[in-house]
Amino acid sequence: MFKLNLFQSARSQALILLIPAFGVYTLFAIWPLIDVVILSFQEWNGISADRKWVGWENYNYIFNNDPVFWVSLKNTVIWTILSIVFPPLVGLLLAIGLNQKLFGRASLRAIYYLPVIIAPIAVATMWRWMYDPFFGLFTQILTDMGLGFLARDWLGDRNIALYSMFVAYVWQHVGFSMVLFLAGLQGVQSTLIDAARIDGASRFEIFRYVTLPALSPTITIVLVLSTISSLRAFDIVYGMTGGGPAQSTQMLAMWAFTQSMQIFDFGRGSAVSVVLLVITLAIVIPYMRWSQAREEAVK
Amino acid sequence: MTIVDAQTAPFSSLPKRRDPVLIGLWISLVIVAIIWLAPIVFITFTAMKSNPEVLNSAAFAPPEKIVWENFTKAWVKGNFNETFVNSTVITFIKVPLGLLISAMAAYALAQIQMGWNKFLLIFVLFGAMIPFQVMLAPLFTLVNSLSLIDTYPGVILPYLAFGVPYQVFILHGFFKAIPKELTEAALIDGASHVTIFRRIFLPVSLPVLAALLILDFVATWNEFAMALVLLQDKHMWTLPLGLMSFQGQFSDNYGQLNAAIVMTVLPATIVYLIFQRYFVSGLTSGAVKG
Repeated sequence: MFKLNLFQSARSQALILLIPAFGVYTLFAIWPLIDVVILSFQEWNGISADRKWVGWENYNYIFNNDPVFWVSLKNTVIWTILSIVFPPLVGLLLAIGLNQKLFGRASLRAIYYLPVIIAPIAVATMWRWMYDPFFGLFTQILTDMGLGFLARDWLGDRNIALYSMFVAYVWQHVGFSMVLFLAGLQGVQSTLIDAARIDGASRFEIFRYVTLPALSPTITIVLVLSTISSLRAFDIVYGMTGGGPAQSTQMLAMWAFTQSMQIFDFGRGSAVSVVLLVITLAIVIPYMRWSQAREEAVK
Repeated sequence: MTIVDAQTAPFSSLPKRRDPVLIGLWISLVIVAIIWLAPIVFITFTAMKSNPEVLNSAAFAPPEKIVWENFTKAWVKGNFNETFVNSTVITFIKVPLGLLISAMAAYALAQIQMGWNKFLLIFVLFGAMIPFQVMLAPLFTLVNSLSLIDTYPGVILPYLAFGVPYQVFILHGFFKAIPKELTEAALIDGASHVTIFRRIFLPVSLPVLAALLILDFVATWNEFAMALVLLQDKHMWTLPLGLMSFQGQFSDNYGQLNAAIVMTVLPATIVYLIFQRYFVSGLTSGAVKG
């Protein structure tokens, strides 16, 4: 009798502890996720009372009649590929460097990480000014070096705007990869490295055959997190170019927002969102399974 | 000789001989660090220059005379009075409240066996991976249907919802590591779960809570996309929205624009510089274990 009571009260106490977090999470995170899927099969301007079901029409439209959708998909793919190559690579190199006992390494680490904590929208504003074609930093430096003919309208030229924007993104995100790699490197057992050194392995061999294999879980984590955060790119696009010039920096997250919140076509905007969502899930679900399996293995 | 060496050599751990590879490495790391700092120096210098000086002086020339009016004028024009208060109110309510509800849920998931703990954990973890950027339109629809557009709760509630997953995940990992026997002993002594949570678990997890608090402070302070959709009235805007609008209106007044950037970024930077240590531990405890 006493046992039963205790059990019941434990359960009700658990509920009291769980309800605030799970309530707000379900209502404000999970419901919008479901609603975006519903909206993608409807026609709605965001204001009127009735949301009309239109079946696959929105998808039909974005796939067949919306050239901007394909441009933004292409840009998102380019952006994602760049994002899983450059920030992690630079981050790894910095982490390997900073893993040595160097003078002032704490300050160096703090400097590389500093851009991570700056608001993305402020990074966009900063870099927009640095890219100013007349008085911005890049044009000034090139002019001072006598290379003024190389100066461009960095964000106004549709051939390079996406890459100009990416440079700002790298500047902001390298520190994040670096910190994760530094943590991963702490986990590499120094006894293994010492043993390899005694056996006469060169620095490169130690890196290639000891450090890198031990780092492989960290590499997976960094690559997945980089992919997810690159798919999310919104603030930097909104702040730097708004998707222009001529949609040359348009990306899926931005295009979904523009369709829904600026053109007031919630159906088409949500269809674009669902495409982005499906791409994200295709990466996230295998990753969650992998990390689950890894955790079980540790136990 | 060795003493002198140890003081002057960049590598105090290697007093005997300087490794040329390490010296080369150190020099390249310093050069990269200078490049990484350059944009910040450029912005700060520009913020303190008058417009003619911006157009005529070299990019990295320090200001001849610091023009403090840039800051005061940008503060007034950019309506920082209101945006600063809004950002502060939202952040100071959201961050502690979010951490409290996350910690409560994490405790229940880690220490009270209910049969579906694992399912709930995966359910909440899922949210950490989903970009909220895909849900801006339905989020607007939801908050609008609750008549909460342009209100503090209208933006704090979604912030709470999207903060819960990561924090529950981290705290669950931490609480799970505390032996169940401790909880059981306290239960037998007649303590309730709420008491155990408050008197035992919260105090021992202070370092983790501090790390999450700092991370969340910066994330909330910097958030832009949701605020853009949920706060339409400019009297309700947060700092990032104010900065965006400032850029749209006064982008040709370089000194003031840069002053506005500096003022927006400064609070998070100060918090970072003071609590640096916690950032690293807060980030890495979640993503990379051991």
